[in-house]
Amino acid sequence: MTAYLTAIVTLVGVRALLTLGLNVQWGLAGLVNLGVVASFAVGAYTSALLAVGGTPLAVAWPAAIGLAAAAGAGLAMVALRLREDYLAIVTLGFAEVLRLFLLNEAWLTHGANGVTAIPRPLHGQFAAHYDLFYLVLVLGAVALAYAALERLRRSPFGRVLRAIREDETVAAVAGKPVFRFKVQAFALGAGVAGLAGILFAHYLAYVEPNMFLPQESLFVWLALILGGSGNNRGALLGSAVLLGLLEGSRFAKDVIPFLTGVRLAAAQQILVGVVLVALMIRRPEGLLPEKPGSA
Amino acid sequence: MPPIAQYVFNGVVTGGILALPAVAFSLLWRLLRFPNFAVSTYLTVGAYVALVLNHGVRAPIALAWLGALGVTGAVALGVDRIAFRPMRDRRPFSLAIASIGVAFILENVIRFVWGNDFRSYDVPVTRSLSVAGLRVGRDQLLILGVAVILMALAQTFLLRTRLGIAMRATADNPQLAAVKGVPTERVIALATVGGGALAGGAGVFLGLDASIDPLMGGGLIISVFAAAILGGVGSAPGALAGAVIVGLMEEVGTLAVPPTYKTAIGFTIILAVLLVRPTGLAGARS
Repeated sequence: MTAYLTAIVTLVGVRALLTLGLNVQWGLAGLVNLGVVASFAVGAYTSALLAVGGTPLAVAWPAAIGLAAAAGAGLAMVALRLREDYLAIVTLGFAEVLRLFLLNEAWLTHGANGVTAIPRPLHGQFAAHYDLFYLVLVLGAVALAYAALERLRRSPFGRVLRAIREDETVAAVAGKPVFRFKVQAFALGAGVAGLAGILFAHYLAYVEPNMFLPQESLFVWLALILGGSGNNRGALLGSAVLLGLLEGSRFAKDVIPFLTGVRLAAAQQILVGVVLVALMIRRPEGLLPEKPGSA
Repeated sequence: MPPIAQYVFNGVVTGGILALPAVAFSLLWRLLRFPNFAVSTYLTVGAYVALVLNHGVRAPIALAWLGALGVTGAVALGVDRIAFRPMRDRRPFSLAIASIGVAFILENVIRFVWGNDFRSYDVPVTRSLSVAGLRVGRDQLLILGVAVILMALAQTFLLRTRLGIAMRATADNPQLAAVKGVPTERVIALATVGGGALAGGAGVFLGLDASIDPLMGGGLIISVFAAAILGGVGSAPGALAGAVIVGLMEEVGTLAVPPTYKTAIGFTIILAVLLVRPTGLAGARS
């Protein structure tokens, strides 16, 4: 049971980082990104491939965050000129094309076999209680990201992002370089999601392309909207509730006999979809709404 | 290796199938002002409705096709009433997110009932024709013919009938149309049912031409989007032309890139169009 709980909380931590990343992009700056999973995948694969190739983690991890942020900045520079509804399909498409790339370019990514035997950090030192060590590592990363993003939200930079979200014309008239701020926010969020990917890859010691399906982006959106977008606390709460929802429904298998593997997965996803649609209709501000004017 | 003309012919058939959801998607986008990601999943709904009729009550495929039109239209209307109608006044992106949720629900209801297996209809096997060295399936000709007739009907409806004109008026300026006495909600309901039916019918075609599985429609969303943007959002003939171009490029493109990259071709078309015209080919109106 302890092992199970440790695993669950570790995964909540990874999801929390993803949600915090999207909260910078959508919650603070109002930028649509339906391809959150792309940054997650770039972080995971970059770090995994570098580490398997023998690069020390102290180099591989910053490189992976850097590449995820750079890819985010690149996408933002192309896409952020577009109207919101076009931005939705472009970000979604980008993530899907990236997944096809991971699947097909086996010379680089090992294709459908995935990357195996990804080294686990400090495994020698903490061999006895490794999962507990990793949990602390993930929670430490979440705490650090939370503190940094909370600070950022209250900073002048964060205020400009919220001003852009509310009315970018006004922000531009006030002399703010709106486009530059948007690209920075997008890259920052992508970097945080990249960090989530790194922690995910080295936790499982294995990554493969189908871990990064478009539905993963939808889960991150659900966590953010559920918790309350614009609000870092909401992002944490939403991630925990979402995983509770997914994991809790797993126990339904013991109660309902005809629930086979495929059916259980489908039922979970129906639940996710229903919660998302109901939230959008009834409570788009989420469980912990952003307080107006909170500095 | 088959001649290039074979790829061109297959591309035209793919384009003909794609045209139906593309026209539905494009018109609904213009009318309701949000991209409805559930439209491509209506293909899957239609394909499975016909599968139930065809396997369950042994209906011939033509009858099953009609059933798919009706049931998918009704499903689309139900979705609109439950999910989209309460959100009519929200920003487009909220509706787009809700539509992704709807697509996800529909797809997984289908997966829950029928599982992930690939399926096909019970239809008599026919020999392909050989025309000028090309392999031409009888199904393919039928699909192409029906798609063209449906497109012509849709266009005639939009241009010649009172309701069609009302629909275009609402798409152009909903307030003005409402003031002039156009029953906005009825127009929306009609477009939703019609769009759902077109997409559902296309799903049966896709099931005949390829195979049936829970992801068959949802996987096409990028191609449908590409066709709509290429044709200019809100234009039925534009979406038809866009769909044929996307279908052609996706099929002929397999000569140059592996077929697994098909989605990337649609994505490239979207990027190319939007980079030249950031507001889409329909122009600056939003």
